[in-house]
Order: sequence, then structure tokens, then C-alpha cells
Amino acid sequence: MLLNVKDITVHYNKVDAIRNISIEVEEGEIVTLIGSNGAGKTTTLRTISGLNHPTTGEIWFEDQRIDQLPPEKINKAGIAQVPENRRVFPYMTVAENLEMGAFLRKDEEKMNRDLEGVFKHFPILKSRQKQMAGTMSGGEQQMLAMGRALMSNPKLLLLDEPSLGLSPIMCLEIAKIIRDIHSEGRTIVLVEQNARLALALAQKGYVLETGNIVLKGEAKELRDNEEVKKAYLGG
Amino acid sequence: MELTTFVQTMANSVVSGSIYATVSVGLALAFGVMKMANHAHGEFFMLGAYVVYVFYALAGMPFFLAVLAAIPTIAALGLLTERLIFRPTRGNVLAGFMATAGLTWILQVLAGRIWGLGFMKMIPTPYMGAANIAGAQIGLQRVLIVPAAVILLGFLWFFLHRVRLGKGLRACAQDPDAAALQGISINKMTSLAMGIAGAYAGVAGALMAPIHAVTPYMGRDLLITAFIVVIVGGMASIEGAVLAAFILGFIHTFVTTIFDATSAIMVGVAFMAFILIVKPTGLMGRAKA
Ligand SMILES: Nc1ncnc2c1ncn2[C@@H]1O[C@H](COP(=O)(O)OP(=O)(O)OP(=O)(O)O)[C@@H](O)[C@H]1O
Ligand SMILES: [Mg+2]
Repeated sequence: MLLNVKDITVHYNKVDAIRNISIEVEEGEIVTLIGSNGAGKTTTLRTISGLNHPTTGEIWFEDQRIDQLPPEKINKAGIAQVPENRRVFPYMTVAENLEMGAFLRKDEEKMNRDLEGVFKHFPILKSRQKQMAGTMSGGEQQMLAMGRALMSNPKLLLLDEPSLGLSPIMCLEIAKIIRDIHSEGRTIVLVEQNARLALALAQKGYVLETGNIVLKGEAKELRDNEEVKKAYLGG
Repeated sequence: MELTTFVQTMANSVVSGSIYATVSVGLALAFGVMKMANHAHGEFFMLGAYVVYVFYALAGMPFFLAVLAAIPTIAALGLLTERLIFRPTRGNVLAGFMATAGLTWILQVLAGRIWGLGFMKMIPTPYMGAANIAGAQIGLQRVLIVPAAVILLGFLWFFLHRVRLGKGLRACAQDPDAAALQGISINKMTSLAMGIAGAYAGVAGALMAPIHAVTPYMGRDLLITAFIVVIVGGMASIEGAVLAAFILGFIHTFVTTIFDATSAIMVGVAFMAFILIVKPTGLMGRAKA
């Protein structure tokens, strides 16, 4: 198992945002977490990345326990995240943003190859290298944030609502790129409110409601589940 | 104003601007990364001057080496301040304010205990002679500050825009969480920012030692000026701070020459108020996302 989230609870101040959540991710999978606003999806990803720490439970990545490590150690271990709302560095150029994604790397040669790989997925980034990231459109910023995360050549890629605020066409484009990145052998955890998109891409899914996992299973099972249909797929 | 007085005042403005800029960039950088203001920054400047007093005036080292010695010495003080004050109080602006205000007082008292109060240290001018510009005589010791500041500011610009570690500082100032997700250690970046802040304030104090009254309180007025510079410049903007430093250098020097030093500070504050009214984010400030 690549990632094993075991029974974690996370508090903000005294209030718990997620309770006893367990998630298992095998190498090569796309696993999705779906749920409505405030369900705890972002909190879960932030905790995997080390921006928050669980009060109970454990997180294992490969053979390493990571739940008390700082974010930079977790990045170094091979986990990259594309945060909610992209969070590109607005006053840095596209090229600088991509360089920041590779902040800890020393293998310049492999880095340049990965940069070419990023430009293959996102040709627009190649032609916009000198543009300030903050002046790009939402879709372009999403691509940049994904390219930035790929620059660390992560074993596990966490995506927090990549479709948020994008046009339907741009959503499809992002979906296609997620599929491409996956087909290169990258393992992905995809958080989405757009359950239709997420369940179409993923092999496995978890449904979160107010901090608890209420349902989990194969993506196609979830697609056919009556409650999921009613609550997340619009009937 | 006569031509020679005018030229003299212009030259002094550029010198003041150079010092203000060298002192303020560190304050702006540290504020950008930590979102906390270091009130002991003026004392970093003061102690930089005492490094020159000890190594050059007392121990007889060459002036140039004494100035260089101020860099690691005060950088180390910056690192300590980060580790002992800013890191434990991170996110708590009030605690950071109280603690560094306390540090200001401690450093002033310590300097007074060690080197004495009440009289200023005599530091002989290492570079005698004067440059003659359009009939105005400008002491070489002052002239020297300008290329020194250009080198220091150029070096900082290069570091922040061309070196990956320096870019990490900018990333951290723009979005600490996103930076952490890229593997950039926030602790390392706040240390680095405070080390640079210390180094720059220290070297500015060191350069000023021969032409400024060296006393434990010499950092106080300068800190006010540096705060105005940083606010006018746009809080976290290094480029804005440099621009504001030179504008304020001109304002202070001209008003001091024509009227007096107290009026100069008043006009400086009025200038800040004016800028904040016409452009609330400062000259090069960025609206919060
Ligand atoms: N920094 C914070 N401080 C306090 N409470 C928080 C904080 N961040 C999130 N919460 C709370 O934790 C709960 C889970 O929030 P989270 O952001 O993880 O949900 P989400 O599933 O990502 O929602 P969305 O789909 O709107 O992004 C919510 O009740 C939220 O109000
Ligand atoms: Mg969220």
C-alpha cells in the first residue's frame, strides 16, 4: 500500500473537523474523496501533507510514518499537493513557480526532463514562462499549480478540487490531463465536489459527510448507488 | 539656496537614502516572510556601529575588516532573535511586538553597561579627504556609503531573483502554506530572513559609525524612519522600500538643511500619511488576495 491513513481525527482549536477517517491508496490508483462544502476534504489532504497534524490516528506512506512530520519532509518523501484554489505564487513568473515545485531537488538533469514532461501536459506553460502567475486565468493557474506539483516528481499527487470555478470545457481538459498523468503511472488522490467528474476518473472512492466517511467502494459501485446519485449526481 | 549648498544637500540626500535603504530592506524582508515587525531592528543597526568601535577604534583592525565583521556578528543576532522570539510567538503579533520591544530595551541597556552612556564614542575617520562636486566638499567617508549600498542592494536583488533559495523567500512571503507544500521549510526561511535583516542593519550601522554619534540610542530615530520607509514602500516590498528610502532621504535632508531635524521628521510622517491616502497599499504594495 502506498498511502495508509489510519483512523485520524483532526481538530481546529477545540472543534474536530474530521473524525476517525481511514483511507487506503494502492500504487497506481486514482482514489477520490467526494463530499459537500465543509465535509472535511481539504482538512484530510492538508493533514496528509503535514500542514495539519492529527490528534489521534496514524498516516503511513510506504514504510514511513508521516503524520507528525513537517510539510517539507513529506514533500521530500514523495507527496505533492495541488491545493484548493491553486495557490500559485502570484508575483512570481510561471518559470519561477515551476522552479519552486522542484525546490528540494538537486538532480538538475532529471529536473529538466520533468520540466519537458510538464510542458508536454501543459503546452501553454511553455509559451508563458515569463508571465506573472497572478495575471493568468483560473484554468491556466490550475495548470500551473498542477505543473508545479509535478516538478517534484511525486509518487503521490494530491489534487484538491481541480475543477473548482472552471468552465465545463476547461473541466474536461483538466480531466483529460489527470487521466494522462495517471497513465504515466502516477498515483493520485482526487478531492472533488464535482462527483460525476471524480467518479468517472477514479477507481475507488470515499464519501465524506460532516467529518465522517459514510460510504466507500469501487467507483462504479458508487456511481450506481442510489444515495450517491441523489445527493451528489443530481438524481 | 546657493548652488554649492544645493549640491551638498543633494549628495547628502543620496547618502541618507542609501543608509535608509540598506536598513529598511531587511525590515521589509523579515516582515514579508514573518508578518511580524522587529522592533529591535534599530538596535541591530546600533550594534553594527559598536562592532566597528570595538574592532576598529579599540582593537585597531582595518576599517574595512571591522565593517565586514559586523555582517556575521549582527546576522547571528538576527538568527538568535528569530529562534528565541519570533519562532515561539509565530502568528501572535502582539506577543512578537512585546517581546521585540523588550529586546530593544535589553540591547540598549546592555550596550550602555558595556560601553558606557552619556558620551559618544570617538571613531576616527578612516578615509580622510573629500570629493569636490561643483564646488561642494563631500567627505569621502560619506561618499563611500553610496557604492557600498549599491553593492549590498544589488546582491540582495540577485539573491532574491536569481538564486533558488532566495526565490524560496519570496514564495514564502507570498503564500507560506503553498511554499511549505513545495518543500520549502518555513523555519529555515524565517531564519534566513532574520539573518539577512541582521546583516544589512549591522553593516549599515558599521558604515555610519565614523560619521554618526555612536550611542546606545542611535537606533531609535532610524527605526522610526525605517518603519515609515517600509510602510510607504508597501510593507513587504523590497523594491518599494528602496524607492521610499531615497524619497525619504531627500525629504529629510532638504527639510533639515532648510529648517531643522524635527521639522524633517514631521514632514516625513506627513508624506507617509499622504501616500497612504492616495495609495493605501503603499508605493509598491500589493492588495491582499
Ligand atoms: N482553519 C480553520 N479553522 C477552523 N475551522 C476550520 C478551518 N479550516 C476548516 N475548518 C472547518 O473544518 C471543517 C472541514 O473543512 P474543510 O475545508 O476540510 O472542508 P471541505 O470538504 O474541503 O469543504 P469545501 O468543499 O467547501 O472545500 C469545516 O467545518 C470548516 O469550517
Ligand atoms: Mg475544501
